[in-house]
Amino acid sequence: MSLWRDIRGTILPFWVTLRYLFRRPVTVCYPERKQIPAPRYRGRLILTRDPDGEERCVACHLCSAACPVDCISMQAAEREDGRRYAAWFRINFSRCIFCGLCTEACPTLALQMTAEYELATRELLQVVCEKEELLIDGCGKNDQYNFYRLAGIGVAAPRGSNPGESPPVDIRSNLP
Amino acid sequence: MPTLIIDNQTVTVPEGTNVLEAAKRLGIEIPHFCYHEALGSVGACRLCAVEFREGPVKGIQMSCMTPAKDGMVVDTGSAEVLAYRAQVIEWLMTNHPHDCPVCDEGGECQLQDMTVAGGHGIRRYTGPKRTYQNQNLGPFIVHEMNRCIQCYRCVRTYQDYCGGTDFGVLGSRQRLYFGRFSDGPLESPFAGNLVDVCPTGVLTDKTYRFKSRVWDLQEAPSICPHCSLGCAVTPGARYRQLQRRRARLNNQTNGHFICDRGRFGYGYANHPDRPRYPLVGHRRVTWQEALAAMQSKLQELGELFGSGSIGLLTSSRATLETQFLTKRWAAALGSDQLCFEAHPRRDFASRVAASQQLDRSASLEDVRNCDLAVLIGADPLSEAPMLALALRQAARRGARIVIVDPRPVVLPVAFERHAVSVDKFSQLLRGLGRPQQGDFSSSMEELGGSLANALLAAQRPLLIGGTDLLGPQGTQALQHAAKACSQPEKPCRTMFMLTGPNSFGGALLSANGPGFDSLMEGMEQGRIKALLCFEADPLADYPDRKRSRAALARLDMLAVFDCAATATVQESDFFFPTTTVEESVGTLINNEGRMQTFEQVFSAGTPLAESASGSHPPRFFTRDIPGSEPQSAWGILSALMGRSADLDALRREIEKNDHRFAGLSQLKANGEGRRIAIPSQHPESLPLNIASSIGSDQLQLLVTETLYGSELLSSLSPCLQELIPAPFVTVHPQDATRFKLEEGKKVLLGTPMGDLTLTLRIEGDMVPGVAIVPRLRGTVLEPLVPGTESLPCRIEKV
Ligand code: SF4
Ligand code: SF4
Ligand code: SF4
Ligand code: SF4
Ligand code: FES
Repeated sequence: MSLWRDIRGTILPFWVTLRYLFRRPVTVCYPERKQIPAPRYRGRLILTRDPDGEERCVACHLCSAACPVDCISMQAAEREDGRRYAAWFRINFSRCIFCGLCTEACPTLALQMTAEYELATRELLQVVCEKEELLIDGCGKNDQYNFYRLAGIGVAAPRGSNPGESPPVDIRSNLP
Repeated sequence: MPTLIIDNQTVTVPEGTNVLEAAKRLGIEIPHFCYHEALGSVGACRLCAVEFREGPVKGIQMSCMTPAKDGMVVDTGSAEVLAYRAQVIEWLMTNHPHDCPVCDEGGECQLQDMTVAGGHGIRRYTGPKRTYQNQNLGPFIVHEMNRCIQCYRCVRTYQDYCGGTDFGVLGSRQRLYFGRFSDGPLESPFAGNLVDVCPTGVLTDKTYRFKSRVWDLQEAPSICPHCSLGCAVTPGARYRQLQRRRARLNNQTNGHFICDRGRFGYGYANHPDRPRYPLVGHRRVTWQEALAAMQSKLQELGELFGSGSIGLLTSSRATLETQFLTKRWAAALGSDQLCFEAHPRRDFASRVAASQQLDRSASLEDVRNCDLAVLIGADPLSEAPMLALALRQAARRGARIVIVDPRPVVLPVAFERHAVSVDKFSQLLRGLGRPQQGDFSSSMEELGGSLANALLAAQRPLLIGGTDLLGPQGTQALQHAAKACSQPEKPCRTMFMLTGPNSFGGALLSANGPGFDSLMEGMEQGRIKALLCFEADPLADYPDRKRSRAALARLDMLAVFDCAATATVQESDFFFPTTTVEESVGTLINNEGRMQTFEQVFSAGTPLAESASGSHPPRFFTRDIPGSEPQSAWGILSALMGRSADLDALRREIEKNDHRFAGLSQLKANGEGRRIAIPSQHPESLPLNIASSIGSDQLQLLVTETLYGSELLSSLSPCLQELIPAPFVTVHPQDATRFKLEEGKKVLLGTPMGDLTLTLRIEGDMVPGVAIVPRLRGTVLEPLVPGTESLPCRIEKV
């Protein structure tokens, strides 16, 4: 009984292999031919711009706080019009595990993942990316959201003129 | 003492305690915004709701507004209460601008915490959001009114606790506005506390704006080094830059608050001119080279001229560990030329202050609880700002405050004022030492006598002295007066404002050692060939700068160990960079004799913002951190003496060596510190009072400390430097008429340190016959040092 089972167990895998020998391969000849991953693939990170063309990132440190391997660092700064932005922003992709937690934490949709996966290199410093290398010229996956047009602190539009806001209170008057 | 049951636990609390505090004693934290231990309850936010099941009140009530009563049964987490709180959060959020990503409060925001805890996520209310315009509140505070939740903490802090009048609440109903009547810098020197009390991001620290997130900061319990009170602070640093200071709770000293000098004076640690490398003859060398060069030079001098040719000096900025090791090293070198303060009169005044019966010495908590405070020669706001705030709390509880001082004194509270010139102090103190007697020979003595009677009659009397104006003799007389006004059951407590954060430690260690005057003579006569300065600046702190410059120039060797680019550092032959308070560990003893330790916040190094000039950090790896050479002074001393830099062993040794420091090795940095119990012996001889005669065409020159610009370290902080006034001199209207001077005009002040051109201020609330100048570092007034005998000066129009 058990002898029969052992013989079957030895031959069957060979048979499976033999069968696949005559089928069309599923692999492609990388790098001559490249796979196009699904749009939600978690590849290299980018920083996007808002529909007005301004940098979306406000250097809020939420991505760096969420990152389980601590590969994001930055310094915030203030532009003359009160806009908070990243003076510098660095992602060390040699440490990144492409978990996507940073993009989930990002409140401004600035940080997004792309389908780019070709990051292998012998030069580690090539994958330590500064803001200039991360920042793209478009909105990425969402071309609507604009943090500063929703946050009521009057950076993109004068105070009290964002959608759903009443004009500033006149503090010199007690009239309704 | 009512006993009540909160969440099935029984607790007994003192009469008058509210339910929120009672729950806190059981370790139950009831969510709240508007209640604050130091500010009390107002019932504005409605978040602290709890359910009362049994007892005098029933149903849902505000726990902060309900005093604990016998028989109460309280549920802090019933379903109904939780639903109520969730609604409160939701309505507080209806107008919130939803801008947490760009708000500096993020991460330490109570509103964030409560919103998350209350489970509120999506705004259901569809009406418009209320908005406001912000105000420019000056160099310290950023205003973002749209984030306000109307808890009133700011107003209660600013107006009630700190006595400020230019910030308050405007408007009505749902349009309350917390700000000033118009844009402009906040006037109170305690305005920075608004940052700590505001539970949201309306009022945030401008000097910390967008620098970091709180979770990225390195923080540790520390002590403010900017005056002798030793307030508890929590500094925060990131990327080798000290970025802010917040108040830390110490009920015995500062309570919940600190002054703006303490909060914003931190910039000295990041100062671009801070010397960070060992220098020999102004040439940068390695530590080993510098130490070896200095030691061989010391040895050479010792062999040639004997061990008495080496003088050592530390200051009130040095930690107890540094002072102790300096003393040890002096002994090892065989030199008795050791001194703990470069200003002889201040030195001896501190020694006298440290020699009194220390159970009579008052802490700031005693000040807050006194019912009569008599201040002689003290200007709290300039010399020890938090004392002014403590006096205000006393006055709010009904205390009487009396100030006897020649200067115009400002306090954030009403007080009784006697303008008395310094030369009358001795008469006044004589009267003060003779309560319940009638035969006074002068009106001053009589004033002293009447104050003494009031002190005797008071329940918790307090005498406060400024050692700068009193001098050693006056300090001693004040102590005698306090003794005379004491009764066994209610001692008259005393508090002295001293020179720096560790004046007391230096005073305890110096005992009957020489004053700097005798070192000075040694240098002038060529007996002393080498001077080693540990965090001391004799050029700036010795009252006669011409004399100290000449004496230092005669030295064969001047070695300086310091963390700031002082005048003495410029003249040094050997320079060793030391760490700041925030970069090391140590112990400071404050003006009441409270020993307090502090922990290391971060490691010394040139701030990244500076070394990378605002751009990203370097893209290469290196082992050495730029500018990380500074070492703690006590660490350097350990190395020089061939000891291991083991702090615990050192503290145990200090304890064993001198039983007055008992308990030092057990001290925790986040505790209340420990009061020294045994006073030091009274100095055998005090420097004599040499009052110079003032001619009829002359005025008496009085140099005083001032809030910003006098204390060395805070005067290096860029944001406080902006507030240092243009050099000025203040005179009485009588003298202005006499010398035909006009307010705001330039005048020429002829002083023993040279002629100075200053702006004139006229002030009626002072004694005539004196010209008062503040000590302002970095200005023409720099050479004038407070705490000296009065000198004559001339004043005329330019
Ligand atoms: S994908 Fe994950 S590991 Fe990579 S930066 Fe984001 S949080 Fe960090
Ligand atoms: S979470 Fe988004 S907005 Fe915030 S710092 Fe990261 S990328 Fe910038
Ligand atoms: S400004 Fe801050 S402290 Fe003042 S009421 Fe508003 S939230 Fe409260
Ligand atoms: S009162 Fe003195 S010790 Fe306290 S915070 Fe102000 S400067 Fe610092
Ligand atoms: S804390 Fe009780 S109502 Fe605000």
